[in-house]
Amino acid sequence: MGKILIVDDTLFMRTLLKNILFSGGHTIVGEAGDGEEAVAKYKELKPDLVTMDVVMPKMNGIESLKAIKALDPAARVIMCTAVGQEQMVKLAIKTGARGYIVKPFQAPKVLEEVKNVLAS
Amino acid sequence: MKEVPVKVEHNNQWIVTKLSVGDDRIVFPAPVSKEILFKSVMDLAEKKNVLIITVKTDTESVYKILSVEKVLQILKKLILASCNAYRLMAYFMSPAIRGGVLIKDAQWEKGSIVVVRSGIWFTSATKQICVPVKDVAAIELTKRDVQGKPTDVVRIDHVETGEVASSLVLCPLSTLQVLYNYLKDTTKSMDMKGTELDGIDQQVAMLVYSGMDSHAIENMLNIPHKQLDAIYDKILKLSLAEVVTIRREIQLTTKGVRYITDATKTQTN
Repeated sequence: MGKILIVDDTLFMRTLLKNILFSGGHTIVGEAGDGEEAVAKYKELKPDLVTMDVVMPKMNGIESLKAIKALDPAARVIMCTAVGQEQMVKLAIKTGARGYIVKPFQAPKVLEEVKNVLAS
Repeated sequence: MKEVPVKVEHNNQWIVTKLSVGDDRIVFPAPVSKEILFKSVMDLAEKKNVLIITVKTDTESVYKILSVEKVLQILKKLILASCNAYRLMAYFMSPAIRGGVLIKDAQWEKGSIVVVRSGIWFTSATKQICVPVKDVAAIELTKRDVQGKPTDVVRIDHVETGEVASSLVLCPLSTLQVLYNYLKDTTKSMDMKGTELDGIDQQVAMLVYSGMDSHAIENMLNIPHKQLDAIYDKILKLSLAEVVTIRREIQLTTKGVRYITDATKTQTN
């Protein structure tokens, strides 16, 4: 079970992820609505894992991932994006993302991916 | 011709027989006494270890063959190579995504895509995967990073034992466009034109997709049970979902209240 930071610009997706992760026994240590806030919260909260939306205002998910990796090269980040943006996968993985989930997603698979990334 | 042991359904009974298998046909001995040319096969489906073959000559006939996996694999390979279907050589990845999570070790496989009446078959030297048309949730022409370049692919989303999986097909763009149009046409009955849901209905549908139960949905969207019930009715009416469980809310009777009161007394004494 891990301490997780959820990053997404929509409250609906944050709430959905929060519910899924909570049901899997994880602790949600914080939420962020954009990439900049995500970096600040990462510094402050030191989560075990971050779920990161790709398309967000101010700083997007890829830039935020880069900034978090610069702070902590061992950071575990799972990217989360909408259907049709899968071409971002390679860029995100190259930047250091440990996993990738595509919206809409199903709870058991998200929990499985989180478990795998936490164990890596 | 080679002979393989099978069971075949004849007059609503399974009979043990030896099926003769050739390059372009199979022959059932008596009492079925039937020769089936692969090119006359209109549809091929599989349920567990039963192969369902639909043949059209003057009339349409359905044959059901039960056998071990090895025999069925050979039959499927031969039939899919020659049956009456839309067929193209392509690379495919099936499944590439399951439940929204990318499968990291998924590989492109060289093989063929065969579209029959009831399903889309992905076949390669090692795989024979069928996606029934009734389980196709979406077909999209999209881009995927292949060897460092964004490349056009057809993405087929399908429901597989309650999970949503996505398969990808890769071939030259002109062929891909034809495949996309063909698949769109084949799955036209699943189109949703005119039956779209409004904002909150869509959110509820999305939460159901993600595996949330009624209680979680009510809490997340902060809506009363009656409103959720009405939205469920709308979703059910559109055949977008089915009822799996009816949960009951109960209230204690006087006898129940008395039981609890007594039980509490016993525990606190």
